[in-house]
Amino acid sequence: MRPALRLAKNYGTVLAFVLLCVLVGLACQCRVMKGQWEENVFFTPENFMLILYQISINGILAIGMTFVVISGGIDLSVGSVLAFAGMLAASFSTSSTTVTPWSGTYTLAVPILFALAGGVVCGAFNGWVVSRFRIQPFIATLGMLLAARGATMALTGGNPISSLDARLRWLGTGRIWNVPVPIVIFVIVFAVAWVILNRTVLGRYVYAVGGNERSARTSGIKTGQIKIWVYVISGLLAGVAGIILTAKTGSGQTNAGSSYELDAIAAAVIGGTSLSGGVGRLSGTLFGALIMGVMNNGLDILGVESYYQLIIKGALILTAVIIDPSRKAADS
Amino acid sequence: MKKRLLLLAASGTVLTSCLLFEAAPAPTKVKIAVLMYGHKAEFVQMMVRHGKQHPAVTSGLAALTFYDGRYDPAVQNDQAQLAINLKYDAIIVNPMDFEANIDVVTKANAAHIPVIVTNARLDTQEMTSAVDSDDVLGGYMEARSVLQELGCKGNVVIIEGPKGGSGEIQRGQGNEKAISECPPGAVRILERKTANWSRSEAMDLMQNWLQKHRGRINGVIAQNDEMALGSIEAIKAAGLNVHDYAIAGIDGVSDALNAVKRGEMTSILQDAKGQMQASIDIAIRAVLGPGYLPMSAIWKQYEEDMEWNSGQSKHYLVPWTIVTPTNVDGLLESRK
Repeated sequence: MRPALRLAKNYGTVLAFVLLCVLVGLACQCRVMKGQWEENVFFTPENFMLILYQISINGILAIGMTFVVISGGIDLSVGSVLAFAGMLAASFSTSSTTVTPWSGTYTLAVPILFALAGGVVCGAFNGWVVSRFRIQPFIATLGMLLAARGATMALTGGNPISSLDARLRWLGTGRIWNVPVPIVIFVIVFAVAWVILNRTVLGRYVYAVGGNERSARTSGIKTGQIKIWVYVISGLLAGVAGIILTAKTGSGQTNAGSSYELDAIAAAVIGGTSLSGGVGRLSGTLFGALIMGVMNNGLDILGVESYYQLIIKGALILTAVIIDPSRKAADS
Repeated sequence: MKKRLLLLAASGTVLTSCLLFEAAPAPTKVKIAVLMYGHKAEFVQMMVRHGKQHPAVTSGLAALTFYDGRYDPAVQNDQAQLAINLKYDAIIVNPMDFEANIDVVTKANAAHIPVIVTNARLDTQEMTSAVDSDDVLGGYMEARSVLQELGCKGNVVIIEGPKGGSGEIQRGQGNEKAISECPPGAVRILERKTANWSRSEAMDLMQNWLQKHRGRINGVIAQNDEMALGSIEAIKAAGLNVHDYAIAGIDGVSDALNAVKRGEMTSILQDAKGQMQASIDIAIRAVLGPGYLPMSAIWKQYEEDMEWNSGQSKHYLVPWTIVTPTNVDGLLESRK
């Protein structure tokens, strides 16, 4: 392989990210030179902190999505599971005690455990349906997308849950050493997920199942179990993201996380994860999420109308997939 | 295995159909099908709750069946046909789409069933009556409250509803009307962009604007409460003082009322009870004839602004209420 190609293969997403930052930065610099702005508000440490804060939820979902997509599946249910978990967390951490029969203020561990358990149960069910009944992941998780959204509304009869406990709010709005808590959680999740995917047997099996399921099975890998695991990871991380979103906005809402699954898939795909399975890296996903974050932030700062913002987003996803060298390598 | 599954599926079907029949209305005088555009929003939940609490419903004179339109105009049109087939006496529709749901009215008219359009508007005059609040006026009132707080001077941002929706267009017109009443050039609109009625989207958007216009934003005109609340969260997350900003939203959701109580924003209350209960009275009147007298307390409450007119008016405009720290406690109390 030619060195340039290898560079592009390994660092294509990073290059795209840098290029995007430079482009937005230059556009901002133009405004400064024209005298419209006093300073370049894009290239500041606070702004990059803000971007990290804003991508932490999508980033966490995208990490789970990367596991699922590498294993050859897809998880359309993460947005709904996020809402379900977030609503569970809110119901155990609110001073309005009438919304659900059990609602009230408990110690922080209770809402967290219930939210994570809710995510894990949804994920395990997804994995069980996919592996036990050999149903296409697209359909199985589409079912969960609807069911979890319905369950969220049923929990509270469609009402939001507010007046949340300050301890829960801290998970979304607090700071540790001046770093927003969601970023800290995102970094921890990324580190643990990286170790699992790159340094454990489970991680290797995930790649094997996604690369060629039949040969994985004949070489003794329990593919069904591996599939259940990836959906459990995805569900668990949807639970984590649900807690953060609820804590951040200060309310459990039935329509939270609508279409977040698409952003998570987009981040993974921009990051070079192949939807046909077997190929992908978490570092790519991280930069995929960063690219989307910079785009949202940059286009808001530049005052680009929302219609064009959507067009640019769409174009970017397509470009990322078309120029992705790993895709060509996988095809040939 | 397959047999067991089939058995399971069959028994499931039987069970579901039993439940469905259970849910069908018992024979009462007036059967009304209420087609709501979706069931996810708090405002819709309030409409449903106030519908069920209407005196005619609690006394058994009328029975309501609610349908969830799942945010899809086509689903609502199908549900209208279903309601006609099931021989409901009247249809109340809270339409998803200004144009696409005209079909509901057309079908009801063809079946000679009275149809009342509530909360949102339809681009037709063929319905029995329309009951809603004037979004242009709502947009005007919220912008005016922000501008009054700023003394008609300073920089504002506008957080808009979904682009092209009637809410965004009409509330936007009202926003601009209020701004145009200030001396020319005194108020600058720094930014305007949609956050799709969503609190989390508005929070991200406002954070980006605060980063861009450090210390220059004085007021936030959000076209609904959820987005106003998102901007408040963004201001707090940036370590700034919410009380330094003039913020207003529309709808009067519970979180917004609590924020009003804390002095963080102003909300323009859209009266879910007024819209729903007026619609029910008009529907019953259309079925039973002029002998029916409206039973809801809202007609008394809005005596001066909205006349009953024997249920014959084409368009009922339910007044807005500005929620301030003085009247917020009563409103919160009434929701418990």
